[in-house]
Amino acid sequence: MAMVRTPLMFARLPVGGRRLLFGLAITGICLAVAFPVLWLILTSLRPESGVYYVHRGTEFTLASYAEVLLDERLVQAFINSALISTLATIFSLLVTVSSGYMLSRFRGPAAQTWFGTIYVFRCVPYISWVLPLYFVAQSWGIYDTYIGLLLPHIAVHICFFSWLMKGFFDGIDPSMEHAALIDGCTRWGAFIRVALPSAIPAISALAVLCWLFTWNEFLFALILTGNKVPVITVVMAQFVTEMGLRWNLMAATAVMALVPAFLLALFGQKYVIRGLRI
Amino acid sequence: MFGEQQRFMVLLIAPAALLLGLFQVVPIVIGANASFRDWALYNPKKTWVGLDHYKAVITDPAFLEVVLPNTFIFMIMSVAGALALGLGLALLLNRPFRGQKIVQTVLMVPLMVAPVIAAIMMRWMFNDQFGIVNAVLEGLGLEGQPWLVERWSAFGIIVLTDVWLWTPWFTLLLLAGLQSLPKEPFEAAAIDGTSAWRVFSHLTLPMLQPVIVVCVVIRAIDAFRTFDIVWTLTGGGPGRSTELFSLYAYVLAFLNLDLGRGSAAAIVGGLIILVVGIGLYRLVDRVTKT
Repeated sequence: MAMVRTPLMFARLPVGGRRLLFGLAITGICLAVAFPVLWLILTSLRPESGVYYVHRGTEFTLASYAEVLLDERLVQAFINSALISTLATIFSLLVTVSSGYMLSRFRGPAAQTWFGTIYVFRCVPYISWVLPLYFVAQSWGIYDTYIGLLLPHIAVHICFFSWLMKGFFDGIDPSMEHAALIDGCTRWGAFIRVALPSAIPAISALAVLCWLFTWNEFLFALILTGNKVPVITVVMAQFVTEMGLRWNLMAATAVMALVPAFLLALFGQKYVIRGLRI
Repeated sequence: MFGEQQRFMVLLIAPAALLLGLFQVVPIVIGANASFRDWALYNPKKTWVGLDHYKAVITDPAFLEVVLPNTFIFMIMSVAGALALGLGLALLLNRPFRGQKIVQTVLMVPLMVAPVIAAIMMRWMFNDQFGIVNAVLEGLGLEGQPWLVERWSAFGIIVLTDVWLWTPWFTLLLLAGLQSLPKEPFEAAAIDGTSAWRVFSHLTLPMLQPVIVVCVVIRAIDAFRTFDIVWTLTGGGPGRSTELFSLYAYVLAFLNLDLGRGSAAAIVGGLIILVVGIGLYRLVDRVTKT
């Protein structure tokens, strides 16, 4: 089907010219998409004074990165973000894999009610529950603590991921589990030893997505933490207002925040694409 | 009381239901309670005020004339933009060519970028004094613009940032959709010598419609709650002219320190998107069934 779709405007050109135009168009598109990131990297490599004429001059330096690494609050923010993303990924997979399995394997009022619930809560805007969670967290004594930031990060993915996991389990034939049950396996045994291993591609895909979502999330930490648990997105947003004129530092911090996400996505890309296609 | 199967079902969803209950249901209920009270920091009594906050929100000109139109215009423009570009790129990637894998990886880049970081990049590129956009314009002999100081250019940059962020998401899902389409109709069209445009409009688009509708619905509901990029790019400014719904509720609660009215705004917004969401899900149901 691929060769069918030769764009009309190229049709009258000779093959060589057509391929050249196509190559140029592709390169242009890639450059346009990647430009903001490339520009950020370039800015981060310029000296303090060169930043304001970042498109001129040839001086480059790693000084901004060194300064970022010496800033205790920034380093703490990187560590916190990594910690919370990792823990949130582990726990949110633990709870959503089983919930998605239940949705996929059982019918009846209980399953329908649960499905309806996550359908509705998927629509609720974050602000509508995170805003009041601010005073709930204060009365529970978990405002501005790790646990107070971690638990909402686990809760937020329940709806979407349960729904995705249901889809994945729907694509896996349950007859193996039935066979295991007949052979005297418990229901838990059938779930954990038979169904889970075949869901591993889907679980890896969700792990990559969950880690990225948590690493990039901003609103939760903005509302639910004060000074004790700095995370990288909040610290950067404060940068814009407080250090608005030091673009080289801001760019260096942003590039460092992009690196873990890029590495994860690069290695995880094939899992995500494979996992989403089931 | 429960059979063995029921116990298994309940245990499977218990952790998820518990977390959902504690961190979404309980806050929403307590927020609803707060929305009927004078829940400001200076009033420890938290006096019951009934529907006053709701009346104040839905008669607030800032909400009716700025925030609501902004939110819906933003939702429509950013979803339409990302869908059009995402579909174009998915069609492009759906044909084999040398370096296809690399191109695909590059096009996925915005997907990994935190919205806050994307907003910082755009803010820097559109900086009126030192930004590259104005530098290029001046290089071309045109006048640089104070992009983030005027309402509609600032709004346009917010939409542009969102489109940049979410186009790859559409590309990824539509490409998966394209690759799962049956091959035969396209082979038949090739033999008949059907033009590329007719293949697209009469075969690809109708067959891809269910995937497109699902993507649009999910994305539209998420676009409604956009907060990060507005906060970082403009903070709702100039004035309050680029505020979207989430920012409006946030400003009421945490900058004006009126948690009661902020909670009321959060609930009003939640109800609006619930109605829109149910309408959109109906649409999905109808499209996927036919």
